[in-house]
Amino acid sequence: MVNKEQILVDKEIPLLEHVRRSGKGFYITVSILTALVLWGIYAYLTQYRIGLGVTGLSRQIFWGVYITNFVFFIGISHAGTFISAVLRVVKAEWRRPISRLSELTTVFILFFGVGSVLIDLGRPDRMLYAIRYAHFRSPLLWDVCSIGTYLTVSSICLYLALIPDIALMRDLGMKKRQWLYEILSLGFTGTERQWHRLEKAILYVSILVIPVMITVHTVVSYVFAMTIQPMWHSAIFGPYFVAGALFSGVATVITIMAILRKVYHLEDYLKPIHFYNLGTLLLAMTLLWLYFTLGEYVTTLYGNEPSQMSIFWSKLTGQYAPLFWLHFALCFVIPFPILANPKTRTIKGTLIASISINIGMWLERFVIIVPTLTRQRIPIEGAIYIPTWVEWSILLGCLSFFSLLYVIFTKFFPIIPIWEIHEGRGKSIMEVRKRIQSYLPD
Amino acid sequence: MEISRRGFLKISGLTFLGLMAKPGWEVVSQIKPIEPSPAPNYFSGKKWAMAIDLRKCWEAQEGCKECLDVCHRIHNVPSIGYLKEEIKWIWTIPYEKAFPEHIHDFNQEEYKGKSVVVLCNQCDDPPCIRYCPTRATWKREDGIVMMDFHRCIGCRYCMAGCPYGSRSFNWRDPRPFIKKVNLEFPTRTKGVVEKCNFCEERLVQGLLPACVEACKEKALIFGDLNDPHSEIRRTLNGRHVLQRQPELGTKPKVFYIV
Amino acid sequence: MYDAKKIIPGLIIFLGLIAFPILHNTVSGKATYSPKTELPKDKKECIEPKDFIRVNHKELLEDWKASVVRIGMRVYQATNKKRYTMSLNRTCMDCHKDRTKFCDQCHNFMGVTNKCWDCHLYPKELEKR
Repeated sequence: MVNKEQILVDKEIPLLEHVRRSGKGFYITVSILTALVLWGIYAYLTQYRIGLGVTGLSRQIFWGVYITNFVFFIGISHAGTFISAVLRVVKAEWRRPISRLSELTTVFILFFGVGSVLIDLGRPDRMLYAIRYAHFRSPLLWDVCSIGTYLTVSSICLYLALIPDIALMRDLGMKKRQWLYEILSLGFTGTERQWHRLEKAILYVSILVIPVMITVHTVVSYVFAMTIQPMWHSAIFGPYFVAGALFSGVATVITIMAILRKVYHLEDYLKPIHFYNLGTLLLAMTLLWLYFTLGEYVTTLYGNEPSQMSIFWSKLTGQYAPLFWLHFALCFVIPFPILANPKTRTIKGTLIASISINIGMWLERFVIIVPTLTRQRIPIEGAIYIPTWVEWSILLGCLSFFSLLYVIFTKFFPIIPIWEIHEGRGKSIMEVRKRIQSYLPD
Repeated sequence: MEISRRGFLKISGLTFLGLMAKPGWEVVSQIKPIEPSPAPNYFSGKKWAMAIDLRKCWEAQEGCKECLDVCHRIHNVPSIGYLKEEIKWIWTIPYEKAFPEHIHDFNQEEYKGKSVVVLCNQCDDPPCIRYCPTRATWKREDGIVMMDFHRCIGCRYCMAGCPYGSRSFNWRDPRPFIKKVNLEFPTRTKGVVEKCNFCEERLVQGLLPACVEACKEKALIFGDLNDPHSEIRRTLNGRHVLQRQPELGTKPKVFYIV
Repeated sequence: MYDAKKIIPGLIIFLGLIAFPILHNTVSGKATYSPKTELPKDKKECIEPKDFIRVNHKELLEDWKASVVRIGMRVYQATNKKRYTMSLNRTCMDCHKDRTKFCDQCHNFMGVTNKCWDCHLYPKELEKR
């Protein structure tokens, strides 16, 4: 028995390296991230003590960076489901090495999505009132339900696909952590019956999570679309936000892949073809995003409704023009040519495009939320929103905390699913051959 | 008898559930409805509304702020001192911002820049109450859109829902910014939303809202829309009056006479 | 017993730590402390019997809060048929003039915080400010 595992592991040495050994780099990274997290916590405590007045928010622009973070983080969480579940359901074989890292992104970033709303509350001590006195006419309650469901289902998704690898770690014997793997592996020994059940469960959960994913970001957009504020009250917001979510999510996964590949020496597993394929997907998303953005703005322009137009022009030529055009450049002008050309759809190319898209999509959320508030039908001068150090520190703290969780996870579990790679090398090649034959005339 | 681990867990689980049944039922059966059932007779039959006679208001001397001051004084509204964190229940805005649909190139000279008193419109179909996740703001049966400061979690979604910008948020502890506290009304904490409450605490004592009482020009008229003989009904009768942005379907109950 | 040498001293240390607050308070004499609430001199009875108020004052005040704010009913009829205005600073604080000598005594002793005073003010506190 041990021999079989040993052979498997010897074959996939780099996959366990990062669990077994921690170099200097690891400790430095963890200390820096911890320091940044503590700084973020300090910033929040300042806000908790003095009140939301320490932010740049005002009577006029009462939602800002935190709500932007909320939409952005929940958006990123769509990557995991999209890449892992959708590609699993459509049996795309190249998903194998990237399924876990994308699922992990989903689960971890969701905490910060939810956290951002809680940070934004004026009375965080009363947050449970939203459940105690739940008022289901409020779209915020729809969010509570859908995000709660999404977090549950995607955690199950991540965990199920983790079980065979935990069992493997247990059988390898990891001295101090043996007890942990013992508990988490749920007695998985790899019998045929267990495999059959596990695969069935993973497939069911993968199918279940797809509609949940679509619902989640639709409902997030409804927070804005259900109000009568100009440029928020738009029926296109549901699909527009979902497309934007997948767009930023795929970009985040590419960024994380590139980092992990470099840091954990996974060059043999995260190959250029994976970046190429995801880059193609990202190209499609870029065009989809452009389509929705144009649709949104052109219909507003032709409607020529005064309250809408004042927001429209403040974005295109007014106060928010620099941010608007910057976000347009980052989301379309820069990534599109890189991704459209197969020659630049390399690891470096897709990484540049992804970073650009990530910043651009954060700005997109900002440019959707803030300008509408400057002129809530009654234009009021002097509504300028400049986020303060507290808001930036909390954003930085959230990102650092996310990275920290990610780094710690990779010290306990392999980030590339060993069993999926193993399955891919063995069973799947036969299956794929059979499948292709079944598509063709006999 | 040999018991497997699984069997043992099953039996102990069932036993535990069985033991839980009685105390569990006692807890559940004692849960009181969170919201006391509304007693309809307290507000029934009334529908409070206000009319603001702008002509009288404009005739008053420049800088008359009686109604604004008295409201903010008796409701312990803090004067923070800078625009960003301002809290206001009743204030003035220029005519062209209050009624953008009633200003055009040819009446600009007459109306532009004239100040209009605005406050919460106490809408008959208030959009703000739809968004509150805890029902901390709701419409009472006499039409007053109320705020429960005990329940507000400070998400500010009602502010996003209100098209008139009638709501203010406490960005920090308001107490140090209140010059003289009125004991008859609570102050607020940091982190909750507040707005005009049509002086419901005065109505219950049979008094008129403070702003109405304070206006020397008698430009503010207050009363019950359901009573055909009330002053407000007589004022509104057969007259062309304005409401702020009625096209939004909010049915404001603050009327303006121009 | 395995590892008795480690377990027994460990247990003793654990018990010592757990019992420390009790021991500390016994030695310092705080264990015999009981909150001293100052009762109004000119009034004989509370709106309800003392035992009821002791146990249920939180629920009573919460009911008042809901009743005044959400229902609009402001008169409380006590079990002895007397009527009172439902108001913290007009009814309760009319007799118990100073919260530091009444409410806070037990609340501080039990380590239970209440947030009434974040918003509600009573005459005595206003004088202090």
